Amino acid sequence: MSLREEMEALLSETLEDPELFGWPITVTDPGGESAQMYGQSTDISLLIDPSTKEAVSGRTASVVLRMSSLVAAGFTSLPKGISDMTLKPWRMDFQDILLNDHTFKVKESNPDRTLGILVCIVEVYRP
Amino acid sequence: MSVGNPTALISTLIDKQDNFEIIRDKIADILKTETASQQALASAAGKTDPDLWKLRVFLERSNAWEQWITIADDTDLSPLVTVEFDSTRTDERSSNTTKSQVKEGVYNLDCFAVGISENDAASGHTPGDREATLNAHRALRLVRNIIMADIHTYLKLRPMVGKRMEQSSMAFRPEFNNEAVQHIVGARLTLMVRFIEETNAQSYDILEIVNITTKRAETGEVLFISEFDYS
Repeated sequence: MSLREEMEALLSETLEDPELFGWPITVTDPGGESAQMYGQSTDISLLIDPSTKEAVSGRTASVVLRMSSLVAAGFTSLPKGISDMTLKPWRMDFQDILLNDHTFKVKESNPDRTLGILVCIVEVYRP
Repeated sequence: MSVGNPTALISTLIDKQDNFEIIRDKIADILKTETASQQALASAAGKTDPDLWKLRVFLERSNAWEQWITIADDTDLSPLVTVEFDSTRTDERSSNTTKSQVKEGVYNLDCFAVGISENDAASGHTPGDREATLNAHRALRLVRNIIMADIHTYLKLRPMVGKRMEQSSMAFRPEFNNEAVQHIVGARLTLMVRFIEETNAQSYDILEIVNITTKRAETGEVLFISEFDYS
């Protein structure tokens, strides 16, 4: 096994282990198929204005998943932003640290095909 | 060189609003009053959703849309407009140095609207970015039609206000790197208002009263008859 493959395998601990930083995330594809996965999620209300580099109020949320786990869960494609209004979006459901439920849709996805990590920027979605 | 101790020469307290402030407040007042009326008209006309004419009006708020950062079930998602004073420019040819100046003030009427992506209960979804944009354009439409209505030509401030005119309109997004969880779109209407700004007139003691009567003699010569006390 190459070092790169070892790093990808380590994602089961560094990214998905619920005893460490893994957080339960329910992923639902546009066809309605869903799976409970573990990854990392963020939902913070502090942004940095890129023009002034000052901290400004705003809210940004993201999800990080292991790409091989998405495949193993049966998804035939990776989550991504869906702009077509006639289709359902990729949906991410997870709780915050206070166990409040939040529903998001994938706004844009940034796959790292080197190490097998998928970063999704999400936005609020009303199911 | 010593300049000595300066002495204040203005003996009256400056405690009234300048006209640029009065105009700013009046613009907000007009928007508030007229949008409430529009909602009532929409109800009377049988419109299915009179809230489409709802506009929340703010004054000099830099972040009035912050309420949309965390949206709860009871968060008011109606578009909002904030009235902001931008600048003035003095028309020196029409002004005098002691009593009043003619100015052209610029006011920014910034409309903001939020859009949330939503399941459409069919096979698709309504995208939040499009909803936010259309809502912002609708807010801009309301603001422009109200402020540029002929009945508001002088913003109910005649003779202080001599003219008001839309300078420009533009759309913008107060998001950063497209990472925000909700879509917020802004639309600005820049309004120019020409008005008179008066200075703080001092009251002066009358030092002398001189009465002058002009007469014309039979020869046609102009004569002055003056009476005054002197000491």
